[in-house]
Amino acid sequence: MTLRPAHWRLRAGLVAVVFFSAGCSTPSTTNRGVTYGLTLSPTGIDPHLNASAELGIPLSSVYDTLVVQDPATGEFLPSLASSWSISEDGRSYTFHLRSDVHFQDGEPFDAEAVAANIDYVLDPDHHSQKAVFMLGPLEDVVVGDSQTVTFLLAEPYPPLLDSLSQVYLGMASPKALETWGPVDYQFHQVGTGPFRFEEFVPNDHITLTRNPDYAWAPSIYRHATAQVERVTFRFYTDPATRALALENGDADILGELPPHDWDRLQRDGAFQVESVPIPGQPMQFLFNTRRPPTDEWAVRQALLLALDRPAIVETVFGPSSPVAQGPLSINSWGYSAAGSFPAYDEAASARLLADAGWVPGSDGVLRRNDISLELSIVAPSWGYNPEVGQLIEAAWEALGARVELRVAPSFGQLKEAQEQGDYSAIGLNFFGTDPDLLRPMFTSGGIYNWMGYSDPLLDDLLGRAGGSAAAAAERSELYAQIARIVRDQGLLIPIRDYVNLVASHRRIQGLRFSYAGWFPLLIDLELAS
Amino acid sequence: MVSPPDRPRTRLLTVVLRRALSALGTLWAAVTLAFFALRIAGGDPTHSLLAQGLASPEQVAALRSHLGLDDSLTTQYVHYLGDLIQGDLGESLYTGRNVTAVIGEQLPPSLQLALSAFVVSLILGLSLGLASGWYPRRVVGRVADALSALATGLPVAIVGLIAILAAAYLSRMFLPALALTRAGGLVLPSLTLGFGASGALARAIQAGLLETSAAPYLVAARARGIARGARLMWHALRPVLPLAVSLSALQAAFLLSGTVVTETVFSRPGLGRLLVSAILDGDYPVVQGLVVLGAAVYTLTHSVAEVIASHLDPRLRDAEA
Repeated sequence: MTLRPAHWRLRAGLVAVVFFSAGCSTPSTTNRGVTYGLTLSPTGIDPHLNASAELGIPLSSVYDTLVVQDPATGEFLPSLASSWSISEDGRSYTFHLRSDVHFQDGEPFDAEAVAANIDYVLDPDHHSQKAVFMLGPLEDVVVGDSQTVTFLLAEPYPPLLDSLSQVYLGMASPKALETWGPVDYQFHQVGTGPFRFEEFVPNDHITLTRNPDYAWAPSIYRHATAQVERVTFRFYTDPATRALALENGDADILGELPPHDWDRLQRDGAFQVESVPIPGQPMQFLFNTRRPPTDEWAVRQALLLALDRPAIVETVFGPSSPVAQGPLSINSWGYSAAGSFPAYDEAASARLLADAGWVPGSDGVLRRNDISLELSIVAPSWGYNPEVGQLIEAAWEALGARVELRVAPSFGQLKEAQEQGDYSAIGLNFFGTDPDLLRPMFTSGGIYNWMGYSDPLLDDLLGRAGGSAAAAAERSELYAQIARIVRDQGLLIPIRDYVNLVASHRRIQGLRFSYAGWFPLLIDLELAS
Repeated sequence: MVSPPDRPRTRLLTVVLRRALSALGTLWAAVTLAFFALRIAGGDPTHSLLAQGLASPEQVAALRSHLGLDDSLTTQYVHYLGDLIQGDLGESLYTGRNVTAVIGEQLPPSLQLALSAFVVSLILGLSLGLASGWYPRRVVGRVADALSALATGLPVAIVGLIAILAAAYLSRMFLPALALTRAGGLVLPSLTLGFGASGALARAIQAGLLETSAAPYLVAARARGIARGARLMWHALRPVLPLAVSLSALQAAFLLSGTVVTETVFSRPGLGRLLVSAILDGDYPVVQGLVVLGAAVYTLTHSVAEVIASHLDPRLRDAEA
């Protein structure tokens, strides 16, 4: 009988050995580099042709861009272009390129290479999903000499520098583009950046290795070359598993953690946490101004006042989340506090509705001329929109409305719901570093004007702020006016400014992000000994 | 039994032919259903394709026409079936890659997971079923009963999270290098999925055993002095087996759908993940390719199971002939 415990230990040991050998098919743990957890598994990862933000996390370190944006100020600084000039009329951008740059396959980087990249993006047979639209009214790319290239525009387009600073217009080896073509290039990417593209196995991993020849780092990087040998990206699509992957040591860095997990990791103290602001628009719901009852200003205003937005944000996103104050998030260039939305005021909300003639019927639902106050909310299924939608639904029901909440599982279905038009409020927002992203949403007949709102003054302001070569101070003032109109008209419900909730292992040092917020500057990653 | 020399062969031939025809019918029905369901309920894929870009309505229209989406549904359907008969599953709307290649790439990890989960479910299902059916009043039987109830009732996603938590705890306490939870690992996912699939099998065996162990022929066997173990193996279990085999074949469907959740929870590549992203992207050709594959696997395992079951149970064999 005394042998029994030893027996048990032996058996447990055997089981462990079996499990161990089964679990260890992955490479040895000595200097395995850094494992970076991504949150969705992109269907295609050619930045010139595909559109996901996720692809930029690895690939913005494979490519360099003509210009870069200062991570702190958003100022445009030289990278592959050592200098540039913009013509008086804002329709011609001339870039002077560095002469000492070569691609990871040994091909030289020059003006022809820039033109070849733009041609690849513009080729109608390639069906670029994002990059082609970022070029705006581009008419032609003219190669001057081997180190000079000029972009000619049909009309002024201030966001061009912003576009050219993003990975979607990163410079790829023309030889690799031509060899592999639009279908297979995504598996064989070649840039000039601090990391080489090693391998992409869909749904499994992306691997980058250090580019030892890198010698043209822009000033935004703190190091001249990459400090880690290898970065492996894996996909953690189920939000509930992200913090676990970090805690189990399976991943060293993870972004887009669920807020409550992030709070827990922060309190825990064993990990480094960061909340990276994402410029652009906050999470928001747009009012439908074409359809009763939200076509009426008083109803929109009352619905807004009925929402305790800070409480909604705290319930869904935890205590450390920023409450949004307008159509641009607070950290975005062009944000103006003058356009801040009104605070929660239940009494004022009820008064507005009563003054507009809405009175409770026998069932408690507000009615006017035998029509009851019926509202329909369409929430995208991602990013906690449904949870926020439920709280809005509850608040409006408490006000005396009858509310229906529908969830759209994909952007396709969201767009479908928008085309049917039978919604009162719908969730939609865009990220970006230039406030010109407001234009398609707020101009009359704009592609994303899902409010159906039309105001010549707003059109004029947006046109002047985005379409002309206006100076920064002037643009800033124009966006402040735009924010005030959006607020005064009650066109939308701003909810929460986006932050990328990141956590990393203690051994990771130097984790920094680009101005756009999503993309890490992997060159500066270091491993503590 | 003596039979004319040609009889077994013709019988086999008719059986195979009949099976093949009904398999084709099932395939056709599945493909057709998927084709129309996706297009009626799934939304316009061009919206997903151009979600991030500021495409004008004209550009959206151009893409639709390029993808053949503005042809009538019937025309698209006829084209699709025509290509399918030639073995061409088409190209992904999203990446332009050949659908057969896209699926082929994700098939091995799913197959690996489904097969190992199947083995786990057989072992677990048999043990739990035997223990709870043959020893219904002992502790081991009661524990097995409770476990099989949990296996049937708990969603795979929950079991998976519990497994990750437990493994994380274990590896932190005892075996830091275990790496059980690493993305892409096979042990935890197959245990999780296999556990979920074992419930139905365990339940069926348990119910069958409870029924047969009270049957008069078992009492007679006991009276003849046959040992308890032999009674279980040769007398009580045999009538239960055909049902168990058909159930195991049904599990093929469960395992296929179970991979969707398991692969997501454990960050494994595979067909399940591919299916989810293809549905969300509105990538119809990929979804349809997966439906064809799923239906093919399903009809194949079913046919095999029926052949096995008919060998185990003479009554089924005679009914078939």
